[in-house]
Amino acid sequence: MSTSGHSVFRRLLRHPSGLVGLLIIALVVLMSASAGFIFPEGPWVLGGRPRTWPGVDPAFPLGTDALGRDMVAALFYGARVSLAVGAAAALVSLVIGTLVGAIAGYYGGWLDDVLMRLTDAMQTIPSFLAAIAIVGVVGASLSTIIIAIAVVSWPMIARLVRADFLRLRTYDFVQSCKIIGMSDLRIIFGQILPNCLAPIIVSSSVLVATAIITEASLAFLGLGDPNVMSWGTILSTGRPELRSGWYMTAFPAVALVLTVLALNLIGDALNDVLNPRLKERKS
Amino acid sequence: MTTPAPSLPEQTPQTGPRKVPSRAMLRYILRRLSQAILVMLLVVIGSFFLIKMAPGDFVDTLAGTSDLTAEQMANLRARYGLDQPVPVQLMYYIARLATLDLGYSPFNNAPVLDILVKRWPVTAILVVTSVSISMVVGTLLGVMAARFSGKPVDLGISILMLLFYATPNFIIAVILILIFSIKMNVFPIAGFATIASGYTGWEYIRDVAWHLAMPVTALCTFFIAIYGRIGRAAMLEVLTLDYIRTARGKGLTERRVIYVHALRNALLPLVTMAGLQVSALVGGAVLIETIFGLNGMGRTAFDAVFQRDTNLLLGVLFVSSLSVVVVNFIIDLLYMVLDPRVEIK
Amino acid sequence: MTQKFPTVGRRSFLAGLAASTALPLIAMPGKLWAQEPRAGGTLRTPAWPAPSVLNSAISTAGPETFLGPKMFDGLLAYDFGMVAKPQLATDWQMSDDGLRITFNLREGVTWHDGEPFTAHDVAFTFMEVLKVHHGRGRTTFGDLLAVETPDDLTAIFVLETPNPAMMRALDSRESPILPAHIYEGTDILDNPANTAPIGTGPFKLAEYEIGSYVVLVKNPDYWEEGYPLLDRMVIQYVPDSATRAAMLESGQADAVFLNMIPAQDIVRLDEQPDFTMDTRGFEGMPSAQQMDFNLDNPILANVMVRHAIAHAIDPEWITQNVWYGLGTAGKTPLHVDQVEYYTTEGVPEYPYDLDRANELLDEAGYPRGDNGTRFELMLDPSPWGTESITASAYVREQLRQVGIDVTVRTQDFGVFVTTVWTDRAHDLVLYTVNLGVDPTIGTQRFYWSESYRPGSAFTNGAHYMNPEVDALLEAAQVETDPQARRDQYAEFQRIVMRDLPVMPITNIHGANIASTRVHDHTVDALGVLGGFTRLWIEE
Repeated sequence: MSTSGHSVFRRLLRHPSGLVGLLIIALVVLMSASAGFIFPEGPWVLGGRPRTWPGVDPAFPLGTDALGRDMVAALFYGARVSLAVGAAAALVSLVIGTLVGAIAGYYGGWLDDVLMRLTDAMQTIPSFLAAIAIVGVVGASLSTIIIAIAVVSWPMIARLVRADFLRLRTYDFVQSCKIIGMSDLRIIFGQILPNCLAPIIVSSSVLVATAIITEASLAFLGLGDPNVMSWGTILSTGRPELRSGWYMTAFPAVALVLTVLALNLIGDALNDVLNPRLKERKS
Repeated sequence: MTTPAPSLPEQTPQTGPRKVPSRAMLRYILRRLSQAILVMLLVVIGSFFLIKMAPGDFVDTLAGTSDLTAEQMANLRARYGLDQPVPVQLMYYIARLATLDLGYSPFNNAPVLDILVKRWPVTAILVVTSVSISMVVGTLLGVMAARFSGKPVDLGISILMLLFYATPNFIIAVILILIFSIKMNVFPIAGFATIASGYTGWEYIRDVAWHLAMPVTALCTFFIAIYGRIGRAAMLEVLTLDYIRTARGKGLTERRVIYVHALRNALLPLVTMAGLQVSALVGGAVLIETIFGLNGMGRTAFDAVFQRDTNLLLGVLFVSSLSVVVVNFIIDLLYMVLDPRVEIK
Repeated sequence: MTQKFPTVGRRSFLAGLAASTALPLIAMPGKLWAQEPRAGGTLRTPAWPAPSVLNSAISTAGPETFLGPKMFDGLLAYDFGMVAKPQLATDWQMSDDGLRITFNLREGVTWHDGEPFTAHDVAFTFMEVLKVHHGRGRTTFGDLLAVETPDDLTAIFVLETPNPAMMRALDSRESPILPAHIYEGTDILDNPANTAPIGTGPFKLAEYEIGSYVVLVKNPDYWEEGYPLLDRMVIQYVPDSATRAAMLESGQADAVFLNMIPAQDIVRLDEQPDFTMDTRGFEGMPSAQQMDFNLDNPILANVMVRHAIAHAIDPEWITQNVWYGLGTAGKTPLHVDQVEYYTTEGVPEYPYDLDRANELLDEAGYPRGDNGTRFELMLDPSPWGTESITASAYVREQLRQVGIDVTVRTQDFGVFVTTVWTDRAHDLVLYTVNLGVDPTIGTQRFYWSESYRPGSAFTNGAHYMNPEVDALLEAAQVETDPQARRDQYAEFQRIVMRDLPVMPITNIHGANIASTRVHDHTVDALGVLGGFTRLWIEE
């Protein structure tokens, strides 16, 4: 798996949109990794004169926000939080979605029915509304936000995985595994799952992107975690200043859009890179 | 192609019954119906417990905004049955729901049904207009990109789609207001129509269209991107099929091949997507309705969560879920009637 | 359309104003050049949230409070400085012992449905509605024993004890008079008139779309000849404050009242020639931002810790940067607008001084740990508006500087109220609140031991118990001698600021911002919470 993972990465780098996407994401990762070194005091220090415009004070190249906090530090720490929320929410929903989809698809029957009705119900409720309800009810903290996003995004993965399992379980190699007495668990995770990783990997980049947007949307509605500086938080605190200091909204917005765009480019590229292999295997 | 919501339902043509005899069709409809009821029941129970899990009830929120004594609060709780255990409240709710009684919204001082009758159309019009526009615009852009695949037009459209896809709708909404209302003052910012205008007929429709122009645009962009990308991919795939080669061989113009023969079949996955997007759109409508002061289902649900207005929240979820179920059901039926394979083969 | 109106009453009222307070005409710059008032026109104003009912006698929430006085009248109104003036009562006398107040009522007043207004309506409203269903009315009119009605135009209030605060709570906003013939013998909370009001006020309800808008039209039979001037008022409920600001700026709304757009937008628009800000007319509802310490927390029970925290936080900074200068840094438990009782004389101060704060914390026995932290605290900001949440970011950072690790917990309304006032699971709570037209009505509830009542929101959340303070507050409740009452409240302010169960942050200055075409929305102490009878709008 590691060699093939390596080759996927190499092919991704040769893919033009993959390269652009990876570069942008690399930059965002660098920002979040270095935030602690460059700004050891954190993003909340009320260091400057409030509402200093970018380029006015060399100490604050991108200006300060309404409370005098450094925009650069905010953006760096924001990268960390937004990425973390995106990755964590995607991971949790991948795990739930894969489990539900695999069990439903592999076993079929009433288990499939029950799990799919649950999936239907989750997909029927407008997902952003559900996320609002969860965060609103449980309280806005980073972990609640991550869980809320994960809870509303797993059904998509579950459907994807289930469809693949439904198809693959009839294949010869699965049948032979059963005949030699392999346990269901081993068949599911050892045999079938590796064969439907491609669509999961592709959709995971979309999941991360959607999670980042959802977090920002929640923050925009005032449902962000006040103890962490995410791009969504910067956006929502900057918005009342839109008419007098548009830069407070524009910088986090650009960061957000670029990151989502990059994740999407990576998703496209992954799709191009992984799909031919899928076809090879099928034939 | 990345499909941002790549969950096409299982009832795609290969598994769906085709040219079915009416009895089987009836059975199918019944099965779908019972599934739908089960799904709705799950939605209601899930949301009921979610909101009941929250500390505080609507009396607490009421007490926060207007000073109430402990006795006044106890009276209010008894009045709305909030002093009962939660499972009992749920049973009452479901029993009432069975008679299509959605209950009373204490915060709005009106029956939930009366409120939703006013608010459902706002969101329905917003969502249906957005789906239609994004389907048409998205598909046209997608087809154009497919037709000029690999050319600058394709690249340009793809970049536009990427931007549309990556920009959250609230950012677009804020930009629209800044440009078209504050700077240019062409569109009204808030509301569904001019209040107490006395407009009727076409004048009223024009007024509503004017009010909805910005919200629909803001809600559309993301979905234009989705349809555009799916449309492009579907088109590229259809264009490689035999019958298109035949059509070309017959000497039809490229324009006719694309827009008549290929598009018709590329549209089917798009229709399926439309059903799935409805619930996403209602969710997205929360932000749009908030920003543009539209009193629709999204904003109503948002406020209901925070006012602990259980009946109203459940009402909104119930009715919007029902709308999603019905739309998907209709789309399934459409599939059964217009099975594409018959024509392709 | 221009009509001439008798201006005598207006002028004499302004003359009275100049004498009573320091808010004369000079406060309004040249923008508001005197013009002839014009009748007619529509006022469009966005607001949020939307009302639950349209009856401010049974709900004291903000939206009801704004709408009520447009459709209902009170017995009295108040000029700037809370000087009582006639409304439905034309004059009144108090007996020497302060236990009987006789109101002579206006003749010829009719309800919107044409029925005559009588003393019976007054008696019914106070005894059956305000004393029972009004949130503050239960306290304000708690010792009102009866309202006697010897004839149709006389109402006599009979009190158990003298009640100086009550005389400041008889206006249309706080105590609107309801029609007995509609409400008597019905379930008052369920009466359909609660959403289809029938009042005696200057405007009548024309259209009400739940949660979306309210349209009011002029009451042509209003008892005050020639008023109101406006034909129509459209109140549109718009949830997003930036959208409301955009509506005003683009001319799609004429005015935004009661700070319903972000402070920075108010200040910014006021600098433009087309808009004008007015901060008068908020004495009836002096609002403040304050921070309670939960004294049940052993750390916060230590007065040195509270003093240290006060030294670490600069209310002036919050006032300038969170409230954009629309306020005064808090110095005592009272609001500067409670002019009669507010004093800083001899009141302890806690100037911003991080070193002093660190010293006090060391002395209090909380040295910094290895990670530089002394102890941890939870801070709950009120979820309405954004100012408390914004200010909490400042408080958190300031306390981090002195080694206190603060976690900010944002919760929705219901959870916030329950956490703090029912479960008492809070350490610090930062919120905005109405301190009341009289300290008895709005302020004492945070300091009186009797109002330590878990389960009731906005009571003594600090759990402050000081017999000395209790005695002062209880004495002031019934004190009819103005000087004695001032002394009692002065002493109260000194003790409370020494004990510091609650840290005053900002005395908020309410602001209304309107197009310069809109005139006279604020003509007395009630400001925009009055009836808008004088409001007029240029063509």
